[in-house]
Amino acid sequence: MTLTALFSQMPWLTLLLALPLVGAILCMLADPEERTSHGLALVTTGLVFAIAVGLFVVYSNGGGGWLLQEDAAWITRYGIRYSLGMDGISLVMVLLTSFLLVIAALAAWPVRRYAPQFLGLLLLLETGLLGIFLAVDLVLFYLFWEIMLIPLFIMIGLWGGEQRRQAAIKFFLYALAGSLAMLIALISLYLLHGDQTGNYTFLLTELVNTELSLTQELWLFAGFMLAFAIKTPLVPFHTWLPDAHAESPESGVVDLTGLLIKTGIFGMIRIAFPLFPAATHQVLPLLGVLALVSLFHAAWGAYRQQDIKRLFAYSSISHVGLILLGLAAWQVTALEGSILLMLTNAVATGALFLLVAMIRQRTGTCQLGELSGLWGQAPNLSALFLLFALSSLGLPGLANFAGEILVLIGTFQTHPVWASLAMVAVVFAAAYILRLVQKVIWGPDCGARLLHDLTPREWLILAPLAILVIWLGLYPAPFLTPLHEPVQLLLGGLP
Amino acid sequence: MNAMELIALTPVLILTLGATTLLMVGAWHKQVIPLVTGGIIVALAAAGAALLIQPPVAEIAGMFGSGPYARFFTLFWALSAALVLALSIRYIHEQTIPAGEYTSLVLFAATGMALLSSATSLVGIFLGLEAFTLSFYILIAINRHCDFSAEAGLKYLVMGAVATGFMAFGIGLLYACSGSFHLPEALHGLQTGGALRPWGLLGWGMLLVAIGFKISLVPFHLWTPDVYQGAPTPVVSFLATGSKGAVAAALIGLFASGPSGWGDMTSLLWILAVLTMLVGALCALMQTHIKRLLAYSSVVHMGTLLVGLLCQSRDGLTAGVFYVVVYCIASLGSFALIASLADHGDEPGALADWRGLGYRYPVRGGVLTVLLLSLAGMPPTAGFMAKFAIFHAAIQADLLSLALLGILASLISFAFYLKVILTLFTPNEAVAERHSGTGLEHTVLAICVTGVLLFGVVPGLLFDLIGRILP
Repeated sequence: MTLTALFSQMPWLTLLLALPLVGAILCMLADPEERTSHGLALVTTGLVFAIAVGLFVVYSNGGGGWLLQEDAAWITRYGIRYSLGMDGISLVMVLLTSFLLVIAALAAWPVRRYAPQFLGLLLLLETGLLGIFLAVDLVLFYLFWEIMLIPLFIMIGLWGGEQRRQAAIKFFLYALAGSLAMLIALISLYLLHGDQTGNYTFLLTELVNTELSLTQELWLFAGFMLAFAIKTPLVPFHTWLPDAHAESPESGVVDLTGLLIKTGIFGMIRIAFPLFPAATHQVLPLLGVLALVSLFHAAWGAYRQQDIKRLFAYSSISHVGLILLGLAAWQVTALEGSILLMLTNAVATGALFLLVAMIRQRTGTCQLGELSGLWGQAPNLSALFLLFALSSLGLPGLANFAGEILVLIGTFQTHPVWASLAMVAVVFAAAYILRLVQKVIWGPDCGARLLHDLTPREWLILAPLAILVIWLGLYPAPFLTPLHEPVQLLLGGLP
Repeated sequence: MNAMELIALTPVLILTLGATTLLMVGAWHKQVIPLVTGGIIVALAAAGAALLIQPPVAEIAGMFGSGPYARFFTLFWALSAALVLALSIRYIHEQTIPAGEYTSLVLFAATGMALLSSATSLVGIFLGLEAFTLSFYILIAINRHCDFSAEAGLKYLVMGAVATGFMAFGIGLLYACSGSFHLPEALHGLQTGGALRPWGLLGWGMLLVAIGFKISLVPFHLWTPDVYQGAPTPVVSFLATGSKGAVAAALIGLFASGPSGWGDMTSLLWILAVLTMLVGALCALMQTHIKRLLAYSSVVHMGTLLVGLLCQSRDGLTAGVFYVVVYCIASLGSFALIASLADHGDEPGALADWRGLGYRYPVRGGVLTVLLLSLAGMPPTAGFMAKFAIFHAAIQADLLSLALLGILASLISFAFYLKVILTLFTPNEAVAERHSGTGLEHTVLAICVTGVLLFGVVPGLLFDLIGRILP
């Protein structure tokens, strides 16, 4: 009894955000010669993940509205509050993020150069990401949105590949252009709301009730959507991603940019759509068309790439196209599918990204032309590569299929033409994935040098991901249940 | 002037008398540390006096206010002077600069700033401005072993003289058509219209030109990078913060006290603000010397500040004061960091010198990163709240286009701040050994970085204070 009381009184959400922050500071101060910072990062991410799992177990039955809330006054002058809330969607996103960061901390084990800084930044990134999923006050949201950029910028800019500086600055300026547009839009919305009601606040839950004309809604919606579309990224705002992706840290930390792009879609679902229902209604068809363009354009882009990292970047954009199509379909099944696809894509692409880093460590290249016949020398590695690649392609029984089929079924009910076109794109995905697999794994054995297979540490990283990919493919229901009511709520709020 | 007014004037009196005493003592005793420490004590005493002494009168000699606004800035500039002096000790020592003169000049400059920030009449503005400008003429060129320093001093002198000319002529015109030096009346003369109104406007325009020189608004900014590059770094840290901040504070006071008769001036100010933000940001992009880069950064900041003034609302002015304070802390910190790395005049200037310094000196690398992010306006530093407040006020005052242009400028600004941060942390085996910094210098840095983070996370502290002191 007392334990339950204790559990309900703990500020879990603050804890989720504060733990990585404290960990980050401790990491930065750790001795660079020892592996202290590695251990610290692992412990911190592990604790955060444990809390996330605990919350998931307790609240897995979902329910509409906020499952957990925390609220305190912060900057009274502007009515800014430290307000956090977790609904079913954020619950799932928090679980995914904290899981992938444990993997990232594990994968960062070989980083020796400036390890304390690197791991500190990784933990800071975790605070930023989790904050985005939990913030209810828009300024708080903006704060986390920006905080997340700095570690990513520095990580790409310093530990990245050869073109890292340009890639990092390009990434940052793109992202910042979006967020500044969002800043203007959110201040405008705040003032409009305040003038109407006399209550000047940035709380999402209050701002939803602002009465706006359609023109106002469209402008403000555009401001927010610019930020989200760039981060997502939606064609034509996508050109930063291949560079950032290709230059991401070599050491094989999980596809950081992959985590990042989930925040854009989450922003649409949590903020842009509920705040501006009329504008959303108007813009959804356009979003659908752009999503289809993304889907095809990026699939074609992926097919043409020689660099595997760039190929995955395009394949991410293509998947995001499908996710956005599910949002644009505006239908329960499709929306749930979209959110599921966000999870599965992060897991599968993240795993592939790690594998590419491992291949690169062994062969010194990740150019398609220079790789072939890996199976002969490293069968375990190749098998896992195949598993994740097939999941990415949407093979039934593996993770991505579950999301894709839900999106397609849902979309078919409202927009049969879109769904049919999207089907064709799935064939495109098969084309570039199979081409990749065929070149890398099969073919004549290129290696004059002998490659070693997976080490125990690498198994430790990849095995959980592999289990998750199969689990999500066969039995995604536990992850769908908490989504159900928030999605209903979202759809119900609009005309 | 009666006794009451003298009591109200105590902080400034402490500064001037202290400075004079130190100047005299310095003629016979040349030891650096006692003299500069004396200067720091004088500055802190003045700050304490500004904080504690409740002025019995509202205005001193019809020229200077003594309200909370004046006291706040007197306190702020006195504290800045103390920090600058703490920063200068090693420089004075290494370059064998006469410590008495240096210390007293810094204190005199602080006096001028305090007077300017509290000026309520045109004469007060003129006196305050000239008091610190004269000090800076000498301070900038004080290192006679350095050609750059002399060049910078000459440039500042010529530009300063031109500005003074404009200002004196402008004040003359204003007096001629309003019949008063006292600001509210002088502004009122502008508003009523009548035959002399065009001359009044011309007077205000000339005054603006002079102010534009001092806070380097485009197109009056050209001296800034050269002077910043050439002048001794501790002096620049005061020039960039105090001299600009005091003029900005006076300008804010001007907007706060006067009736909103700025109708005819706003379009001019609008153009100045846009030009300053955009040209400043674009020029900064091309710089490869850290001090020149920071010089252009200060140009951009003053443009953004003008946006706050243009709102002509209480919110805008509050945001303006917040912005000035935060800018000064971050800017002082950045120059303090450069000074702490300097060794016998050899300081990292070109960006190439900074490569890898962040690993060599991780704490100071982190400090500079935080300070630059604050200058750029990144949460959770105070710079973000400052920008937020300015843009908030601009949108509230229906200046959306100005806010959007400001956003554009801050986007460009980010590019050059990020360039520095990346350079700082680019691996470089051949990074040169720099000075490890004295305890005092580290204290100055700690104060600045704490301020930037504190006001970023709990901006309410400063906002509440400003809300209370703004006239």
